[in-house]
Amino acid sequence: MRASNLGITDALRLEELTRSFGRSAPAVNRVNLRLEAGSLFCLLGPSGCGKSTLLRLIGGYLTPDAGRVFLANTDVTDTPLERRDIGMVFQNYALFPHLSARANVAFGLEARGVPRPERQQRIEDILDRVGLLPAERGRRPRELSGGQQQRVALARALVIRPKLLLLDEPLTNLDRQLREQMRLEIKEIQRTTGVTTLLVTHDQEEALSLADRVGVMLGGGLLQVDAPRVLYNCPRTPFIARFLGLANLLRIADVTDDRFQLEGGLSLRGKTATGNWAMIRPEKLLVGPAAEHCPTRWTGRVTSRLFLGAHQVLQVAVTPSVSVRVCCRPGEAGDGDELTLGVPDDAVWIIPEDDP
Amino acid sequence: MTPHRSRHGGRPYLLVAPAVALLLLFFVAPMLQLVRVSLYEGGGRSGFGIGGGGFYKPGTWTLQAYRTLLGETYFREVLTFTVLLGVGVAGITLAIAYPLSLFIHRLPPRAKSLALTAVVLPKLANVLVLIYGLELLLSSSGPVNGLLVGLGAVSEPVTLFHNLPGVLIGETYLILPYAVLVLVAALDRIDPTLLPAARGLGAGPLWAFWRTTLPLSAPGIALAALLSLIWALGAFIGPVLLGSPQELTLAVEVQRQTFENINWPRGAATAVLMLVTLAACLTLYQVPARILRRWRSMP
Repeated sequence: MRASNLGITDALRLEELTRSFGRSAPAVNRVNLRLEAGSLFCLLGPSGCGKSTLLRLIGGYLTPDAGRVFLANTDVTDTPLERRDIGMVFQNYALFPHLSARANVAFGLEARGVPRPERQQRIEDILDRVGLLPAERGRRPRELSGGQQQRVALARALVIRPKLLLLDEPLTNLDRQLREQMRLEIKEIQRTTGVTTLLVTHDQEEALSLADRVGVMLGGGLLQVDAPRVLYNCPRTPFIARFLGLANLLRIADVTDDRFQLEGGLSLRGKTATGNWAMIRPEKLLVGPAAEHCPTRWTGRVTSRLFLGAHQVLQVAVTPSVSVRVCCRPGEAGDGDELTLGVPDDAVWIIPEDDP
Repeated sequence: MTPHRSRHGGRPYLLVAPAVALLLLFFVAPMLQLVRVSLYEGGGRSGFGIGGGGFYKPGTWTLQAYRTLLGETYFREVLTFTVLLGVGVAGITLAIAYPLSLFIHRLPPRAKSLALTAVVLPKLANVLVLIYGLELLLSSSGPVNGLLVGLGAVSEPVTLFHNLPGVLIGETYLILPYAVLVLVAALDRIDPTLLPAARGLGAGPLWAFWRTTLPLSAPGIALAALLSLIWALGAFIGPVLLGSPQELTLAVEVQRQTFENINWPRGAATAVLMLVTLAACLTLYQVPARILRRWRSMP
């Protein structure tokens, strides 16, 4: 059940949140953010961008230098972390090594004085939901695999029925296969419990596949907050374009009528917009017969080829100084081939801002 | 590539041979010698030198020394005092060392290494210098009494050495650094995110400490207690230099019998019984240690 689109109060609101360490530049710099109740939000950024610090500020593990944190319209900036009712899954899970999986999950309920019968019921229910087998529930963390520990950490955070669930790089410590499985499970659990969730990650694929909305962070500030599709197709800065998937970024030299003159003598037709960079995603360039119908066509030689199974990425030198990457089916072209690329008008996005 | 084969083939014991030889020579042999001496008949004549008589009668085998010791009240009193002093000193040491270690553990890195250096520093000084320094501190005109009187805790200076408090203070002072080192190491091994994780789950600071830091440092506490107990049971310096003739421990008794009374069998038998006492205490110690371990993993 989602309360979205109904204009109900935001589950989380941040106002001008700022935090510095020592005398260096702020790790989190004047961040404003609103999270819809029941939504799954991903905070995406390279390491050191301040995303984990922001998570800790929201959870109450750090105090901000300035700015406010609101949980469901209540100012919790000065509320100690044990009274915020926020569930947190740490990157290393932070499970209590001396307690069994069950006792780990029980911890938050004991702290809240939930009576024993109800406690036991809720523990078993939540462990059912995260998929920890009954045989594994009496084991200590070190007797559990990474994926099982992850489930316990998730159950421990969810069992207290938090107003907000924070996940700090929850999948980073898992191997690839398990990571994809847990990604689906997290999304499913989030959907069925309806808990507003904020997940921090440096993995763009994770963010795009999981989130209702994604915020890209760099240097302590939020650069852009949008739905994954918007973020991917219409990035506001070159950094975001490069950070989310592969992107051909071409510098715009001049604009004449309805054409953009690019570096290296190339030109493009596109919607009128202002900006210094044109972005074309590799999979939007056309090759072969499909390219013939495009008003804008470039030709060049394939200089390298990256085979990725379902598709391949070719590097094509369209002018002596400019190369673009093209995504196509394996076998459509090979190393050294002369290739004509079609550039559909709607494949071009003019990036409105420069990097801060 | 030919398959690699260890040059030491099937003779790994050659590698431990030096260590075993060293142990046999300097640990097992003197121990056996000690037991042997305790089984001689005590010598009546005084004098020095093997064969010249005096320390014991060579060639004799008797349990006389043990019978004498176990039959007399004097020895039982010394034994009881030694054990009570040991347990008391270990308890006081832990009670001071644990909060101190918690404090040091939470210091920022540079302050922490400074604090640890300060704790260990006394161990670099000669023990006699330390004890006389302690006497200056504890004397009736010293700073400790000055503080006590100044705070109004006592109306006039109290005697803090050449009595039981002196022995307790001295022995605790000597053992404290070891306990602190063990405890800080144990606390540092705990994942630092566990305490905030507990707080985040709704536990107040005290409850979070009680359910995470304390049980997780329990092995360290057990080890520190064990070390303190072993040191305190062998108390010698404190009773000799800061105590009075009333504060007599087994270690002091061994020294007196061996070098003052020149009764080697009695001294050796006392030493053997001291080792037995230590072994007994360590065995008994397993009981609270086991309870501690069980409590730690309670759900």
